[in-house]
Formats: sequence, C-alpha cells, structure tokens
Amino acid sequence: MTNTYIESFPAEAKVVRAAFYSSFLALAIGGLFGIIQTLHRTGYYRFMDSADYYTVLTAHGVLLAITFTIFFLVGVFTWATTTSLDRPVEDIRFTWAWYGLMVVGTVLTAIPIFAGFTDSEMSASVLFTFYAPLQGHPLFYFGLVLFVVGTWLAGVDWFRSWWAWKQEHPDKRIPLPTFMVLTTTLMWYIATLGVAAAILLFLLPWSLGLVESVNPLLTRTLFWFFGHPVVYFWLMPAYMMWYVMLPKISGGKLFSDPLARVVFVLFLILSVPTGIHHQYLDPGIAEGFKFIAMTNTMFLLLPSLLTAFTVVASMEHGARQRGGTGYLGWLKALPWRDPVFAGMALAGLMFAAAGFSGMINAGMNINYLVHNTFWVVGHFHLTVGTAVALTFMAVTYWFLPQVTGKALWNRSVALGQVVLWFVGMTFMSNAMHRGGLLGIPRRTAEPQYDGFEFEAAVGSVGELDAQIALGGALLTLSLVLFFANVVGTALNSRSDDLPANEYADTLSGPSDAPLVLDNLKLWTAIAIVLVIFAYSFPLLSIIERGGLFGPELTELPVHIGLGLEYLWATTISTVTTASETVVALGAEVNW
Amino acid sequence: MNIHTYEKLWLVAAMVLIVGFIATITYGSVGLGITMVGDQQDTVEPTELDDERFSDPRVAQVGENEYEAYVTAQMFSFQPDPIEVPEDSEVTFYVTSRDVIHSFSLVGTNVNTMVIPGEVAEMTVEFDEPDEYGVVCNEYCGPNHHNMEGMVYVVPEDEFDLTELDAEAPGEVETGDDIDVTATVENRLLDPIETTVTLEIGNETVSEDVTIDGGETDETTFTVDSAQLGEGDHEWTVTVDDHTDSWTVTVADELEDDDADDDADEESNENTDAGDDADDGENGTEDETDTDETESDASGGDGE
Amino acid sequence: MSQTAEHEASNETSEHVREIGHDEFDPIGTLTLIGIYFLILVFLWFFMYFVEFLGNDPTVVSGTLVFLATGARSA
Ligand code: HEM
Ligand SMILES: [Cu+2]
Ligand SMILES: [Cu+2]
Repeated sequence: MTNTYIESFPAEAKVVRAAFYSSFLALAIGGLFGIIQTLHRTGYYRFMDSADYYTVLTAHGVLLAITFTIFFLVGVFTWATTTSLDRPVEDIRFTWAWYGLMVVGTVLTAIPIFAGFTDSEMSASVLFTFYAPLQGHPLFYFGLVLFVVGTWLAGVDWFRSWWAWKQEHPDKRIPLPTFMVLTTTLMWYIATLGVAAAILLFLLPWSLGLVESVNPLLTRTLFWFFGHPVVYFWLMPAYMMWYVMLPKISGGKLFSDPLARVVFVLFLILSVPTGIHHQYLDPGIAEGFKFIAMTNTMFLLLPSLLTAFTVVASMEHGARQRGGTGYLGWLKALPWRDPVFAGMALAGLMFAAAGFSGMINAGMNINYLVHNTFWVVGHFHLTVGTAVALTFMAVTYWFLPQVTGKALWNRSVALGQVVLWFVGMTFMSNAMHRGGLLGIPRRTAEPQYDGFEFEAAVGSVGELDAQIALGGALLTLSLVLFFANVVGTALNSRSDDLPANEYADTLSGPSDAPLVLDNLKLWTAIAIVLVIFAYSFPLLSIIERGGLFGPELTELPVHIGLGLEYLWATTISTVTTASETVVALGAEVNW
Repeated sequence: MNIHTYEKLWLVAAMVLIVGFIATITYGSVGLGITMVGDQQDTVEPTELDDERFSDPRVAQVGENEYEAYVTAQMFSFQPDPIEVPEDSEVTFYVTSRDVIHSFSLVGTNVNTMVIPGEVAEMTVEFDEPDEYGVVCNEYCGPNHHNMEGMVYVVPEDEFDLTELDAEAPGEVETGDDIDVTATVENRLLDPIETTVTLEIGNETVSEDVTIDGGETDETTFTVDSAQLGEGDHEWTVTVDDHTDSWTVTVADELEDDDADDDADEESNENTDAGDDADDGENGTEDETDTDETESDASGGDGE
Repeated sequence: MSQTAEHEASNETSEHVREIGHDEFDPIGTLTLIGIYFLILVFLWFFMYFVEFLGNDPTVVSGTLVFLATGARSA
C-alpha cells in the first residue's frame, strides 16, 4: 500500500499532470530550436535563411522561458498547496479553467510566432522581450495576456485553498511549501502589473492601430519591471524543491525553516525594484536611478546566498546521517546515483557559477563589458536553463510516479540524462561566457562580420564555436533521454510500490520562526512601497521626456494639469540633485 | 529565531561581499570617472532627426583634442561609417536611432550603449593609440540585424583631418572656351591647415598651395584652355591630401541643345549623376567604363 | 503527506546509520564549502573588474572626473 499523490488527490493529480505535459511539449519544441540556433550561429549547419533565425529564437525564448517554466511551476505549486495543506483544491473546475486559459493563451501566442515561418502576413518575430517599435501581430500580445491572466487565477486558487485551510486551523503556522507558494504568487502579482500595463495600455492598442505610436523607452522599462522578477518566478519553485525535497532525498532534514521563510520574504520585497539593472546602458534613464537599482539588486543576492548555506547544510545533515564524515568527505555519502538528487545537486552547483556571472551583470559600470553579449546568454542558460530546467527535470523523476501512479521507466537513463545536461551545459555556457568577453553579440544569426574579427587572447573563436556546438549536441541528447523516460513512464502500467508523497522534515521548525514572518499583508505592503520608491521617479521622468505615447506625438493625450507637472519636475530635479550630492560626497570620501 | 553560528558567519560574509561589490562599482564611478549612459541629452524626433547634429552624421572638432561624433543607427547600418578620429583624443559619441532599438558597441572595448529611438546616448571616450575597432549592433533590430556593422578608425595625428572637398566644372564646353574647375575645400578642424590643391586634366597638372583657417572654406579655381585639350572627353581630378573628386568634361565643336537626349544630362557634372553613368555603362564603350571606376575610386577616397 | 508522515520510515531513509538531532548537528562541511565559494567569488570579482573590465579599454568616462582622478592625463 503506497501513499502517492494520485491516490490522495486523484483529481488534482490530473491537472498537475496536464500542466507537466504541456510544459514538456514546450520543452521539446524549444529544445529543438535551441540546437538549430546553436548550429546556425556557429556556422556548423545552416539550413534556413538567416532571417528565419529570429523566428526560431522568438519561439525558443517564449516556449522555454515562459511556457515550459510556468506550466511546470503551476503544477508544482498546485502539488505544494494541496500536499502541505492536506486538502484538495476548493473547486476543481476553477483549476481546470485557469489551466485552460493558459493553454489558450499559449496557442494564441504561438500562432503568429509560427506564422513567421510561412509567407503569410502574420508574424511576431519580436523575440520574447518584444521591444517596441518592433511590432508583433496583435494575437501575440493578446495570447500573452490570456496566459498571464491564467496564472493570476491559478494564484487565486492557491490563496483560496489557504484561506479555507486557515478557517479550520486558525492558530497553525502556514506550512512551509504553501508559504513559499503564497509569497511567490504575491511577488508575481506585483511583477506582472508592469507587463500588463505595457501590453494593455500601449502595445496591444498600438498593434491594433488604435494609437499611432508608443514610447519605446517606456514600454521597455515596463517590460523589465516584469522581466527581472519573472526570473524569480522561475527560480522560486526550484528553490522550493531544494528546500523541501532535496534534504529528504539526501536522507536529512531541512536545516532551518525560519531562514527559508526569511529568504522567500526577501524575494517578495526585493525582486521587483531591481528591473532597471537590465537598462544600465539605456539612454534616457539617469545614472542615479541605475545606481539605486544596482543597490537593490546586490542586496537581492542575500537570499540566494542564504539559500546556498541552508540547502547545503541540509544535504550535509543527510550525508552525516548516512554515515558521512570529514570536512568534505561527507559529500561522498550523498546519494549520487539517485537521478533526483544528482540532478538537483548539479543544478545547484551550476547555480553557484551562475551566481558569479550574475554578480558581474549586476555591477552597474562593469555591465559595459558584458551587456547584450553572448556572456549574458551563457549566464541565463546556467540560471533558467540549468538551475531551473535541470531541477525541474530531475524532480520530474520523483513527480511522474506521484501524478501517474506508475513507476519511473528507467532510473539509469534518468541519471545519465541529468549528468549529460550538466556536462553539455558546462561546455556550452562556458564558451558563451568567454565569447561574450570577446564582444560576440547575442541574438545574432551570423556573428561573423566583414570588417573585423573577434580577437581571443586565449583560444580562438573557432574553438569556442566547437564547444558551443558540442555542448548543444549533448544537451539535445539529454533532452531525448528525458522524453524517453517521460513517454516510457506514461506507457508503464500502474505500480503499487511507489514512494509516498512526502517532503522534508525540519531540524529547526516553524515554531522557531517569528510570527511576523507569516504576516503576508505586511510584506506585500513593504514590497509595494519599495516598488513605488524605485520606479515612480524613473517612470515619471521617462514619460516627461518622451511622452506617454512616444516622442512623435508630444502633444497627444494625457494632460495632468500644470500644477502636477510642475510638482513632478521639481521632485525629479530634487532627486537628481540629491543623488548627485551623494555621488559628490562619495567622491570626497574617496580622495 | 535561532540561527546557527556558522550561518551567522556566512550572513556577515555575504554582507561583506555585497557591500564590497557596491564599493568597487562606486570606486569605478567616482574614482575612475566611469560614467553611465544617462539622461543628459534631450529627446529628439526619430523620424526627422533634423537637428544640426543628426541631419549630417559626422565627426566634429570641438576643442583642442576634443571631438564629437554624431552617429545615427538605422536598419541595418550606422552613419557615418567608418568613423575616423585621431589618436590622443577625447571623443564624445552622440548616438540615436531613426527607427527601432539598436545598439552601438565597439568590439573589444567597454564602449557599448543601447540606441533607442527618441533618446540620444552620450558617451565620452578617450582614444590613446591608433587602432581600429569593429562596431556591432548587439540588439536584435530586424531580419538583417546580423549584417549591421561599422568601423571606428583611430588614426595617427598627422593622418587626421576633417577636410571636405567638392569640385565642380562644366560638363561640356565649346572648343576655345575656358574651363573653370572650382575646388571648394572646407577645413572643419579648429586649427588652420596648409595643403595643396591639385588638378589633373588631360596630361596637365596644376596645383596651388592654400592655407585654410579652422572652420573656413576656401575656393580655388583653375582655368584651363579647352583648345589645348582638344575635342573629346577629358577626365579631371582634383586632389587635396587624400581626398579626390573627379569627373569628365566634354569639349565639343558645337554645344548641343539642352533638351536633346541622354547626352544632355551629362552637362550636369555633380557627382550625383550615378544614374546617367550607369546608363552610359550599358552602352558599353571602354571609355565610359574607365570613368566609372575612377569615380567610384574617388568616392571611396572621399569617404575615408 | 504531512511532515510527520516521514517518521514512518520510508524506504529512502533506510540507509541511515545514525540520527543527528538539531543540537548535535554542526555543519562544518557546509562552512568549508561555502568558505571556498566565498574565496572563489572574491578572486573572480577582482579579476573580472580589474583585469577583464578595466583592461578592456577604452571605457566610457566623463572627461572632467578622469582629469581630477589621474592628474593631467587628458591634457
Ligand atoms: C538543448 C538545449 C538548449 C540549447 C542548445 C540552447 C541554445 C541557445 C542559444 C544558442 C541561444 C542564443 C541565441 C542567440 O542569442 O543568438 C539561446 C537563447 C536562449 N535560450 Fe536556450 N538553449 C537550450 C535550452 C534552453 C532552456 C532549457 C532554456 C530555458 C528554460 C533556454 C532559454 C533561452 C532563452 C530565454 C534565450 C534567449 C532568447 C532571446 O535572446 O530572445 N534555452 N539558447
Ligand atoms: Cu534581472
Ligand atoms: Cu541590430
């Protein structure tokens, strides 16, 4: 007699399974495009016109960074709330409704993207950042909106479960997995306001011809308002797996529940007021604002660094309980042959490397060195492409039996798969980082130029290209093995001998955590205040400079009245002067 | 809440890292003067760009060793291209876009900015040694984005000038009339230059030494007797340093009517006559082909 | 399902050779690892900033500040 998820929550297991399968479909198509890009860029194999490269890249970015990640995480979050609250969703039809909305949104977005391969008028080869004045077909924006609304409703679902649970357990602490889901969802609500505003107020009306133009810097800033925290939307479920699954699989307990809560609270309040760090090199945004964004970003390192300690300590706890000894010898006692463990641990290791390249990206002036080079692509294939994707794939080997009731098809293949991903990504991302330092640009079909060549102090561009192509090939092979396991498992018959649906116990439990940590209203309020601080002045200044609807139409709509405009102008100049003073003071201190 | 001592230690170490990072960046800004692209410049109208800087993208001298480069990015090129500046100079780039978002990034350097329509990116850069840098656009800007490139040449002081040469002469003259070839030479540097204007026509070469003050324009007119050249087409070339301008003058017995035919168009001797030239090329006479080559040479020289 | 369910020994925890409680656990191995990570980060940061970045001249500067900082460099 086992006690799997599907036995406890058969209806929910179906939705979670559907979400997982949707995400895997996106991963399959996106991965295929990944290898096509790799071979095209490096010049090893080009079978399409270079103009089509950007259609492929749009699909790769949207399918992997948006569809694959988010479908998987809504599955995980639904599992987490139902399991940790030990109650079914409030209304399964509502759950299917948001899932359905996400599917419809994805399909509507995909139609114009894929139409880009045909001769039709329709296209949306605008990449997943869709910077205006590049314009996609309205369906592209519309689909994105539906998809995001779907995720909003999913959040409502999780909150409903929690509210209902709270009625019945008024004095209990929020179970950790649910706490993580709720804080992440709140962060997501705040973050998506940016992209919703960009699309609904500007890009969609503009693509429909309702307004004549947009302010490119404004829509871009609104995009990054969302674009940075979205990376934490991907990352938080992976962190959750590291906190609640990894310790258990290592044979230990979570080192500290309170610190885990602190970490998620920090992410809630610090994720959004940092987006301008993607715009360090944008003209039209004052240096002072960029500096503020950098400070916030650097402090956002803290929860990740804390996570590193807590997660490793939890693993160490497991290793020592399994008989491990010594300063580093305990590492050998970890269950490396378990694909779920190995995959997550390797993903974590790569995230440590990604942390380093992220610190470089975050540095305001050193950003000149790496901005929009291949370095950045190397960086986020370590973060979302490995820390997140590999964790998701590894944990799939645990989840699949839970949501299908069937044993995993082949554990050795699974182990080979995660190792192959790690090796492939090591080659590919290392070479991408190095290529970026030579100035090789990202998002470029043929980074080979007529007038000049990239000069490598060590190695050569040819060597880098070879490593990228090799890495891409290994990653593709890894994906094939992954899908073999998914399909093989789906074709298996039901098994009675499956691990139970459990997650890690804690060494230092929730009772050690101050009650205030569970005060979600407080943290949300602080998060909103910080966002207002970080964004209102930059946004006002951008609008004041370029107009709401772009420089071409300066005297168009939006009249806020002279008094208010004057107020803006003075506040803006006050802030600028203040920041200049700070810099000047800093200057004196430095002499 | 109890936190393990080791974790407290790590918390402190993490804070040290974070503060250390911010301190390093601040040192770069304040100590080394590394400046971010910011909001120093007012916005512009991307579709018009009719202000004094971007209507004529170019390099201008503004101080002894100080230059300004007005650069526009558009699908899928930069203007001017190449950009030429002298060694030991301080160059401020002003970069804007005529259409979508691009970047202007000097390969192998930290000179890198987004180029956003409506906004002007300002970057001050010091070039010490003669060198050459590739320029890429590293932001996707459309189907030919990968072909968007340019060059920046940092040349030795003595090879650098900001001279503009434009020479004119009638396209057709009657035998016996004088041919006036006028060379207009503008010195866009702040300091005067001494140079020589040379005209080659037929197998004659005449030249004149000129001194042109900073920011001034000099006109030199050479008068050639067409009778001496004889009937037929004569190529002429005006050279100032490494700038050349060249065209052909036809000496005929009798001038044809203005509205006659194709040939009449040739009377206009502006270099914009590429179209006419191509027409002639189709007629396929050896002579004309030669002219073609010379002209493209000349314009190549002009550019550099 | 709930966290306590775990105590009903699942097959995955059967490899335990000992039980280590909260107060006995001293994550010295973690401290060692993370200490190494710290050193790597510090080294790489300095390397990236002062070698890769500052060595990647020219850099965007504002003329006057450099003048102040380095004496009369840009005379
Ligand atoms: C088979 C595995 C993969 C390969 C071979 C691969 C390859 C690539 C390459 C070569 C690029 C750079 C294109 C360019 O800038 O010109 C790229 C971009 C990108 N990849 Fe991947 N990738 C893979 C998996 C993933 C995964 C798993 C994710 C995320 C979950 C991901 C997310 C992205 C994103 C967001 C971009 C940027 C798109 C853009 O710049 O608009 N990739 N990929
Ligand atoms: Cu970011
Ligand atoms: Cu481009």
